[in-house]
Amino acid sequence: MKRLLLLALAAGTAAHAQRPTIDISGARVQAYPIALAPPSGAPDGSDVMDVLAADFDRSGLFRLLDPRSFLADPAKEGSSASTIDFSKWTAVGAQALVKAAAKVEGDTVKVDFRLFDVPHASEMLRGEYSAPRAALRQIAHRFGDDVVRAFTQEPGIFQTRIAYVRETENGKQIAVADSDGYAPQQLTSGSINLLPAWMPGGRSLAFSSFRNGAGAHLYQVDLATRAVQPLVTMGDFATGAVFSPDGIRFAFSASQAENTDIWLSPIEGGAVRRLTDSRGIDISASWSPDGKRIAFVSDRAGSPQIYTMAIDGSDVRRVTFQGNYNQEPAWSPKGDLIAFSGRDEHRVFDLYVVNVQTGKVGRLTQSEGTNEKPSWAPNGRLLVFSSTRSGKKQLWTILPDGSNPRQITNDPRGASDAAWGPLAGK
Amino acid sequence: MTEARPQTVYRSLLGGDPRIGWLGPGLLLAIALHVLVVAAAFFLPRLLDRPHALRKPVIAHLVALGKPRDSQLLPRKESEPPAAASAPAKPAAPSKAASGPPRQLSRQEMMERALAGAARRTQDEKPDPERAGQETGSPSGTAASAEEGEKYFGEVEDRIHANYVVPSVISERERLYLSATVVIYIGRDGSIVKHVMTKPSGNSFIDQALVLAIQRTRLPAPPAELARLVRDEGLEINFKP
Repeated sequence: MKRLLLLALAAGTAAHAQRPTIDISGARVQAYPIALAPPSGAPDGSDVMDVLAADFDRSGLFRLLDPRSFLADPAKEGSSASTIDFSKWTAVGAQALVKAAAKVEGDTVKVDFRLFDVPHASEMLRGEYSAPRAALRQIAHRFGDDVVRAFTQEPGIFQTRIAYVRETENGKQIAVADSDGYAPQQLTSGSINLLPAWMPGGRSLAFSSFRNGAGAHLYQVDLATRAVQPLVTMGDFATGAVFSPDGIRFAFSASQAENTDIWLSPIEGGAVRRLTDSRGIDISASWSPDGKRIAFVSDRAGSPQIYTMAIDGSDVRRVTFQGNYNQEPAWSPKGDLIAFSGRDEHRVFDLYVVNVQTGKVGRLTQSEGTNEKPSWAPNGRLLVFSSTRSGKKQLWTILPDGSNPRQITNDPRGASDAAWGPLAGK
Repeated sequence: MTEARPQTVYRSLLGGDPRIGWLGPGLLLAIALHVLVVAAAFFLPRLLDRPHALRKPVIAHLVALGKPRDSQLLPRKESEPPAAASAPAKPAAPSKAASGPPRQLSRQEMMERALAGAARRTQDEKPDPERAGQETGSPSGTAASAEEGEKYFGEVEDRIHANYVVPSVISERERLYLSATVVIYIGRDGSIVKHVMTKPSGNSFIDQALVLAIQRTRLPAPPAELARLVRDEGLEINFKP
């Protein structure tokens, strides 16, 4: 009898229909709700917290909760996991909670920061961060990067810097600022200077300049001393230097005999090599993160489009086919996307990304001024670009899906040509 | 002196009776036949009512209403489908005590204000005249084009996709290689009666988000020919990046 039942069950199982399957892809990414409790102690704590809030907001990683909605009394509940009533933070939607207490010792500000995981009612991170009062903002950037790492196991970019071109009464000058646009430092002071690029180590910038009066050529400037020296002076002009990820060579565009091509040079000097040899214009090189390919712009097919090639100039592949003016490629640190600016049918430049494998183009900006020159943050989670959406050209950041645009410069005459610097210590 | 009383012997029916020896095997046969009839009644409908073999459904999106965009042009930004028309939000009643220091808002009032603000913003949103789609598309469509697919599963995909949200704080690597499988069992009215995570992603943030996506999803009732299948066998959902 038992055997009969087993056989019947087996037959029944075999008779079951196949379970249907569907695949769902394209997850939307939602910012993580975080509460920044008003800090206790010295008033400098509030300044630090403001910088931290702006960092988190710009990153797109976190959604800041409105302090007016907080149910807990931060002063009374203390700052340890055993005294905090996490249900009050859960009730306002917080998934993470930051507490801070500041004190001043002489000219030094010290902030005791704590990060809590609200659903698990546990402390995730704790540390005392100190800095001279003049460098107060760095406390927030350092703690912010630690928070990002605690969640994502990836380095944060709040301590990185951005090089750009600043419009001044003496022409376009190379400048560098913190990743939030604060603490700008102008590095050049005369002539027209364009297209800054970070050199390996992050202590110098290469840039294009008309300073010798005979067309643009490549120079480099030391960030600490502001000393300028020539880098490439060949041809009618040489411009747009970009350094390989391994830091041993750089690509640039140069014009010789009325033909503009991409060239490759060892960083220590030596023989340069021409990588492209088309009759059209080949410019705006950008390295793939593995250093094996270079993206560039060419009009060899009649209109400027994005192409890639191996670093010996072989295996040229056209990447963009839509639009008739695509320029300024920037290969993402993850390697999957190339950001670029393209002119649409309204003859306005906007930002796009193209998937290197599939060729699918996504649009990041639309109907908000002119948007140009994208540059990726070293963690690939943010881009900086220039936009006229608020009036004069200024630097903005945006997420790779086109959301969360934030203005980071407010230069009186404008800012453009941003190049996001490397991670601290790289 | 004792009187001999007739002795009653209780025997198992299955043991047979020596007086009627044919009854034992007969009973066994009858029981076996009953079992067969019950088994047939249970399994035959399943065998005969077996749904046709399904091909793996192709993911289909609702197609947006609009004009097809010239493929030579750079794309427009993919826009969210327009919100359904709703009654205008009532503005908060003006406070009678207009003068004096600003009053601390209660949580209820703050929430009402936030909702009213969101409703106003939605109303203020202008429809994108250049939104790409098909002239026969749907106003709530989310994509400019779609492939042929099984209609019901396409609808399921769209509805779950609308809730497919992962937290930003997971690492890029985890997001890029996200892979998890959940089996859902759908009732005749479309309710998700049960879900089982058969292959977790390995990240508790993501798993939590996927379960939430399933719990938030309201599905339409399945068509009659699929009702038994999705209720008994379930529908396997492979979540990918």
